[in-house]
Amino acid sequence: MSYKILLGANLKRHRGGLTGIFILTLLVAAAIGTVLTVWSNSGVYIQNEMNRAGFGELTAWVSGVPDTKGLAKDIEELPEVERVETQSLVFSNYEVNGQESDSEGQLIDFGSQDGRYRFFMDDLSGYRKEAPEILPGEVYVSPSMVSMFDVQIGDEITFPVARAGKNVSFTVKGFYEDPFMGSSMIGMKGFLICEADRKGILDILHNAGIDALARDGAMLHIFSGSDNMTVSELNGIINENTELPQSTEFVHSRDAVEGFMLILQNAFSGLLLAFAAILLFVVMAVLAHSISSTVESDYVNMGILKTVGYTSAALQKLQLLQYLIGIISAMVCGLLLTVPLRGIVSSMTLTTTGVLMPTALPFVGVVLSFVLILLVLTGFIALCTGKIGRVTPMKAIRGETRKVRFHVGNAVSAFGRGIYFRLAFRQLIAGKRRYVGAVVVAALLVFFASLIGRIDTWLGEDGKGMMDAFNPADHDIGVQVFGNLTAEETETIVRSYTDITDTYQLAMPGVTVNGVDYTANVISEPERFHILEGKTCMAEDEIVLTEFVAADFGVSIGDMVTVRGDSGSGEYIVSGIYSCANDMGGNVGMSREGYLRIGKDNPHIWCCHYFLADSSRNMEIAEKLEAAYGGDVHVHENTWPGLFGIISAMQALVVFMYGMVVIFILIITVMTGSRILSAEQKDFGIYKAIGFQTKVLRLTFALRFGMAAVIGSVIGTAFAALLTDPLVSGMMKLAGISNFASAASVRTVLIPAGVVILLFTGFAYLAAGRMKRLDLSILISGQ
Amino acid sequence: MKKVLIKGKGICKSFSGVQVLDHVDIDIFEGDFTVIMGASGAGKSTLLYALSGMDDITGGDVEFKEKKISNLQENKMAQLRAEEFGFVFQQTHLVSNLTLLENVAVAGYACRTKNIKNVRERAVQILSQMHVNRAKERLPHQVSGGEAQRAAIARAVINHPALIFADEPTGALNKANSEEVLELMTELNRNGQSILMVTHDIRSAVHGNRILYLEDGKILEELDLNVYGEDDRKTRETKVSDWLSSLRW
Repeated sequence: MSYKILLGANLKRHRGGLTGIFILTLLVAAAIGTVLTVWSNSGVYIQNEMNRAGFGELTAWVSGVPDTKGLAKDIEELPEVERVETQSLVFSNYEVNGQESDSEGQLIDFGSQDGRYRFFMDDLSGYRKEAPEILPGEVYVSPSMVSMFDVQIGDEITFPVARAGKNVSFTVKGFYEDPFMGSSMIGMKGFLICEADRKGILDILHNAGIDALARDGAMLHIFSGSDNMTVSELNGIINENTELPQSTEFVHSRDAVEGFMLILQNAFSGLLLAFAAILLFVVMAVLAHSISSTVESDYVNMGILKTVGYTSAALQKLQLLQYLIGIISAMVCGLLLTVPLRGIVSSMTLTTTGVLMPTALPFVGVVLSFVLILLVLTGFIALCTGKIGRVTPMKAIRGETRKVRFHVGNAVSAFGRGIYFRLAFRQLIAGKRRYVGAVVVAALLVFFASLIGRIDTWLGEDGKGMMDAFNPADHDIGVQVFGNLTAEETETIVRSYTDITDTYQLAMPGVTVNGVDYTANVISEPERFHILEGKTCMAEDEIVLTEFVAADFGVSIGDMVTVRGDSGSGEYIVSGIYSCANDMGGNVGMSREGYLRIGKDNPHIWCCHYFLADSSRNMEIAEKLEAAYGGDVHVHENTWPGLFGIISAMQALVVFMYGMVVIFILIITVMTGSRILSAEQKDFGIYKAIGFQTKVLRLTFALRFGMAAVIGSVIGTAFAALLTDPLVSGMMKLAGISNFASAASVRTVLIPAGVVILLFTGFAYLAAGRMKRLDLSILISGQ
Repeated sequence: MKKVLIKGKGICKSFSGVQVLDHVDIDIFEGDFTVIMGASGAGKSTLLYALSGMDDITGGDVEFKEKKISNLQENKMAQLRAEEFGFVFQQTHLVSNLTLLENVAVAGYACRTKNIKNVRERAVQILSQMHVNRAKERLPHQVSGGEAQRAAIARAVINHPALIFADEPTGALNKANSEEVLELMTELNRNGQSILMVTHDIRSAVHGNRILYLEDGKILEELDLNVYGEDDRKTRETKVSDWLSSLRW
């Protein structure tokens, strides 16, 4: 009973601090619960949907195959293959809302595929009960087209099927879930149309002859017949024993596609989880400060309780209990808060991920993680409350521990100019233990904000960093010509807008390396490749690999690989490792001369990459070229629609992160500030009595927090500078990006530190508002 | 004719309905060492803090140098406390994390109208005069009660205030330290410093030249000690004692 009374009294006495810890823990618990829900559901869901929709271990996109069924049958007859499913489609570029696609679209005949895809309600709030009937002229698209091209129901999408204006247009009738190409991170997009429309397009293609721009094709979903075989091995066997390589556009494994689909979820879940971990450390820092202050303020009471027979262990248990009550109730509320949050996150991410992630709470996982956190916090509290054992009754009653332990020699004793600043500094130094929490919190928050800032800076405002990671070489604009059109003609138009400062040519044909399909980046000036290690492929028997391809084959610089193109094969020496995240890093780099040993030349495979004197005119030039030459030219800027998804998700993350930072700093400053204000009430009274104005005292009080935040910010910024690259590079490698390197900038140094310092200072100034009500009668004898 | 420094007119102060000061009229003169005496709970400290603007009053007016200071704006009041008033409390009320020297200097810097260039030197000099030179770099809890109180007096005088308010300045000190502090205050007064002190101790009170007796929130009597020699401490004590006895103290 006595424990109940004491616990009740403690909870009442420290309700302010406990409320702060409750709110902080609630935010951490809700963030962890939500992130775990997204993480656990997204991976499983994509896998299940791929199974349900019938996608095999390997999918080959083919075109120009005289007998698709025959090819599928040949592959199916291999003992290593269980079965092959075929989806007919038409490859075509497209234009929507004034933007030309960067990758080809795939017009998929929905006709007999009822059940393979699921369709969304028009407001994207859920699924339709039944698949709609797709009528001629109608198309269903992935919701990621909303973030990529701002597509809405009723918009028109135009496909230039053949030259001379043979365009086919469709009206967007609704959205469908594509677990295979739905993410905004994937450039190729599926468009569901009816059988009649596909036949119409094929008729146009048949009549267009060499003027055809679109291509008849198919997706071959290949199911492995052996559990012991890797996808690369399966790919190699199929390429060796069938005619698949002659008609392959590209091949992707199920794992690679799953990786593409989950890049956004995984990257941002990872970042959010890291942020939640940082916040957990912040909670621990606040706990340490709160416990220290609580023990200090309860010291006399503890001494008295010891004189009446309470043991240190019993008093420690009381302290532990009061914090655990706050933490456990926060976790329960956090778990409940996860319920609405997971739904909000799922619908918010639909237009970038392209799939409506289920919101089933991974109850066991979340509870286990909460239990783990609880154990860590319990141990931490037990450690922090250990000092209760050192309370001797008389020492406590005499208030000996409350004396300021301060070494004069360390002090800044010279006042004078900058009195307020010096006074604040002096107070900060004198009560340094009280500000350790603020310093640690500032360091952690600035570290994370700076880390995000560094990623954001690398990404760049227009996503240039990301584009450079995906491109084998830099450029401002790329122009590929078809038919009778020549590069000289397009260059005349480009020059009418701005000078071309430099140019090179790039082709991206498919090749096999040691029997496995890859895209080859063939370049006229190999010195432009982003080389990470070794040297570029200047000689015609040299090749550069990404570090992922090198790792797949277990080869390194100096080793030989066999490359097969459409006219033969040859041995190449690996001269270097280069960076290009296309196809999740699954590509190789060759010189023009090197490729021509094994591949056929064709003027239409080459894309001229230009560097412009004024790169801001990219858009105008692209529009002009497209207006002048229509389907005879394909123009791409150094951008990609999926980037908008990443950039907007990054912006959302930054907003969320700073929102959390504001809440955390507010709570921490109010908690710490209230305790300091209470402890120094008399000192403030003295300052007032000798003529200091309240606003001056508030200012010095706020300055203390500002200074603590400055110290923390310097530490956080330094840690971010040291740790961002090793931490983030590891994550980026999952997406095939191996050239991540952050740099210091206003966004990485000044903004995170400035925001945190300002927030600490501002909130401390506000918290010190109660000084206005400080009654000087506190100094009167006996009061 | 002595110049009035502080004039209290009909000062009232009540706490939770209890009237502590009841229409008190009082004049504090320049150059005087005025002592307010009275039984415990008579309202001595309340009157001191009402006159100094440290506490609100519920009725009446307080004037300093013929200007009304009751209900003065916070910044004006702060300025007045910094420039014109000095305070010495029963508990020394030194800022716990500042050394004695810094405690004195900080008060010097708070006074914005006076030259702050030599504040530190002045603080050292005053502390030296107060015989706490050796302890000036120590924190309040590292020095004796007498040293702390002398530092508090040094803080009170650093800006050459017009009036020092002292609330039972020897209340927490032993006899030897009390005597030192009172001697210091007497010396200050001798040099022209006006002082208003609250005490219930006769030996402290005899250091003043004018004693006011407060009872039930009203000034009942006044005793003028100017007629007795400053050094004739014994006679002064007897006179004060007799006077207080006549008031049934």
